[in-house]
Amino acid sequence: MAARGSDSEGKQVGAEQAMARDNHEFVSEAEEILEKMTADLSELSEQRHAGAEVEPDLINRIFRSAHTLKGLAGMFDFEVIGELAHHLEDILDGLRLGRVSLDSPAIGLLDEGVMLLASQMARLGRAEVSRDDGTDALRSFISQVEEVVHCPQLERCDEFGGLDVDPSLLRALTEYEEHRLRESIRRGRHLAVVDSTFEILAFEEGLSELSAAVREVGEVLSMLPAAGDAPESQIRFSLLVATEIGIDPLRARLDFPDTQVRQIRTSGESPASPVDPLSPADPAAPEPSADESSLEPDPAGSRRIGSLRSISDTVRVDVRKLDELMNLVGELVIQRNAIGDVARRLSSNAQTARIGAELQKTQKALDRKLKDLQTGVLDVRMVPLRQIFDKLSRVGRRLRRDLDKEAELVFSGADTELDKLIVEQLVDPLVHIVRNAFDHALEPASEREAAGKRPEGCIRLSALQRGNHVVITVADDGRGLQVEAIRVKAIASGLIGEHEVLSRKEILNLIFEAGLSTAETVSETSGRGVGMDVVRANLAEMGGVVDLESEEGRGTTVTITLPITLAIIQVLIVGVGDERFAIPLNSVLETMLVEPSQVGRSEGREILNLRGEPLPLRRLGDEFEIRCAGFDERQFVVVLGVGAQRLGLLVDRLEGQQDAVIKPIKGPVQQIRGIAGATELGDRGAILVIDVSTLVGDGLRRREAA
Amino acid sequence: MNEVDSNEATSIPSDADWLGVARSAADSFGSLGAGEGVDPLRELLVFGLDESSYAIPVEWVREIVGMKELTSLPRSPDWLLGIAALRGEVIEIADLGLCLGLASVQPNRQSRIIVLHGDAGRVAGILVDSVSEVFRVPEKEVQLAQGLDVTYVVEICRRGDEFVSILDIERVLGVGDA
Repeated sequence: MAARGSDSEGKQVGAEQAMARDNHEFVSEAEEILEKMTADLSELSEQRHAGAEVEPDLINRIFRSAHTLKGLAGMFDFEVIGELAHHLEDILDGLRLGRVSLDSPAIGLLDEGVMLLASQMARLGRAEVSRDDGTDALRSFISQVEEVVHCPQLERCDEFGGLDVDPSLLRALTEYEEHRLRESIRRGRHLAVVDSTFEILAFEEGLSELSAAVREVGEVLSMLPAAGDAPESQIRFSLLVATEIGIDPLRARLDFPDTQVRQIRTSGESPASPVDPLSPADPAAPEPSADESSLEPDPAGSRRIGSLRSISDTVRVDVRKLDELMNLVGELVIQRNAIGDVARRLSSNAQTARIGAELQKTQKALDRKLKDLQTGVLDVRMVPLRQIFDKLSRVGRRLRRDLDKEAELVFSGADTELDKLIVEQLVDPLVHIVRNAFDHALEPASEREAAGKRPEGCIRLSALQRGNHVVITVADDGRGLQVEAIRVKAIASGLIGEHEVLSRKEILNLIFEAGLSTAETVSETSGRGVGMDVVRANLAEMGGVVDLESEEGRGTTVTITLPITLAIIQVLIVGVGDERFAIPLNSVLETMLVEPSQVGRSEGREILNLRGEPLPLRRLGDEFEIRCAGFDERQFVVVLGVGAQRLGLLVDRLEGQQDAVIKPIKGPVQQIRGIAGATELGDRGAILVIDVSTLVGDGLRRREAA
Repeated sequence: MNEVDSNEATSIPSDADWLGVARSAADSFGSLGAGEGVDPLRELLVFGLDESSYAIPVEWVREIVGMKELTSLPRSPDWLLGIAALRGEVIEIADLGLCLGLASVQPNRQSRIIVLHGDAGRVAGILVDSVSEVFRVPEKEVQLAQGLDVTYVVEICRRGDEFVSILDIERVLGVGDA
């Protein structure tokens, strides 16, 4: 899916990045065209080697490819490629019109042109060259083409004067059709005019039947509406036909109503028909009449447009249209949930149990189709991460130059696919992380060698799909983070208490806190931390979490986990008091039932012993000031995980899982902390979706206040 | 009533002018009429609240719906009753009584939610006791509410033998912006 960039994205990225994006978009599309051209060209040379007549359609096809490429290059402002395509088009046009012979150097030039195109595009793809880079090879190619194309043109003289055919028919021939006619005469084919009358309402069908019948035994050289005598509800067409079989067999084959086949004699066999020597095929001759010419379509032109459309099997779609579709699917999902509800209610009642069961069955079938539809629409939105990786490798090259550091970027899993919207939003955070690694984590070569490492640093980016998530890791083999330095800094900036005991992982993840994330704090000593809070916030916005592991002297690994799509998520519905909330299932690690006796206290804070690990607990009711049952009976714990952080949320009830579309809440009150949005629950109104990352963050931070 | 483009996003900036466009539409309304030399008319949606009549310019009104199932919103001001799902959108519903410092609206069969719209797809719902009519009043009969010791009422006019208080709805809903 190469949806053209939406309006909004251009603003945030620099002009350079926008250009890189353009390059990429252009190259991916142009490559497709080029592949097709190469395949067609090799078929062309095969046909020639086999000594066969070269298919006119093949040349037409290559011509159209060159033409499309030229248009594309013009759209993206790549002059060199446009120029190349233009000259290829010139040769091909000459070939298809018979102006240039297939035996001339033309064919060799075609191959050369395509090769030049490929190398230009490869350079664009690697972003090594800016848009324009004229080379000698290019100039020599262009001058050769001009030589071939501008060889003395065949005069459009009255070469068809010997044909006993209505001159107006000949005048209306396009240059290509003339060429085909000339070719047919040269090969001694029989020529005929087939006149046929059709009902206007159904002429397209009749005409295509007729021309299909002709094509079985010959070639339709031209197809024109004929002037004149047909009644108003009918339309007459004249087909100029060339065939190897005789005229009589042709006539026998074209046994259509209102159809006449008339043989055209060439001058050799004709009894010297008295033709006005001035009128035939005189290019300066006036158009027959305004009426008539307005009736005449441009067959070559319209055919060309049709073919241009079908040249590519891909469609470019505005991503907003996909959003609309996705929304619709989301609404359907809600309706499906509502139906499920009704079905359950019906089947739980003895009197309606039968209908209920039937409805449930229908709902299941609907469910499956809906899942297919959902996957289908989701699939369309998916783009490979390669897009980002390409960008990152360019960023890497620039950093290498700017920072004068030797390091290589290694990519894997570029085919992993993600929602287009996520991919777009992922660029900035990833660039940030890679830049950090380059700038701070990787030591200078001398320091590396002293530590017994290869002088050249290495940053590995890998992506892989895991269930409904994509995991992206950025691993460097740099100096790693100094845990103690972070701790000292965090204490100094008041993020943690002086005597607070934190695990190694917890300390490392302090990197993502706002207070620690300015350049002058840790970057000197530990080599990281520029705007990592922004990175985390950006990722959280798309439902992603970021985690970090580091070993001093060995390197740092940043792990990003993202949902594959934003559009529909699975939620867990929980109940507290009279209220219900939805929790995105991707942050739920597990749920369990706990007895009050299993819960301990530390500094007044409830803690659950979770398989030997202490898990801090918060009551959802307290968080949102909802009156709810006291904790004197069994309660449910929903274990939430955001990155390395864990928090147990106490709720009264678990009410099941559901697909949900998260919607923004509109109104005068802005953003409520801890609420990510709302989702509809069938006919039961809206319910709030919990913003797990802020809830967990707040829940854990409150520890310091306590 | 105009449909609002629901694709437009979303969060409402804290400045009080969040219904800006609707407001300017209302402003231009008067001058348009005046230019034609006819007595310009003001179109107001009149509704009942706390046994009095209030009004807002119809340009602010997107639609009027009956009471909906509301989901309360934690960590929000008292006057915000909660959210409701309205044709695919989730909209905050305010109790206009509480907004004005009056008694809270008791939902019953007469009570209505007026869905307001501003620019950039901003919307909000206000719950009122009842909705009376769209009232056309000559511009010259609308008086400024000066010296009346009111906070949210900007103008006042007569409708039959009662007064109708015209609200500055932006200021009313601005109370939430702490």
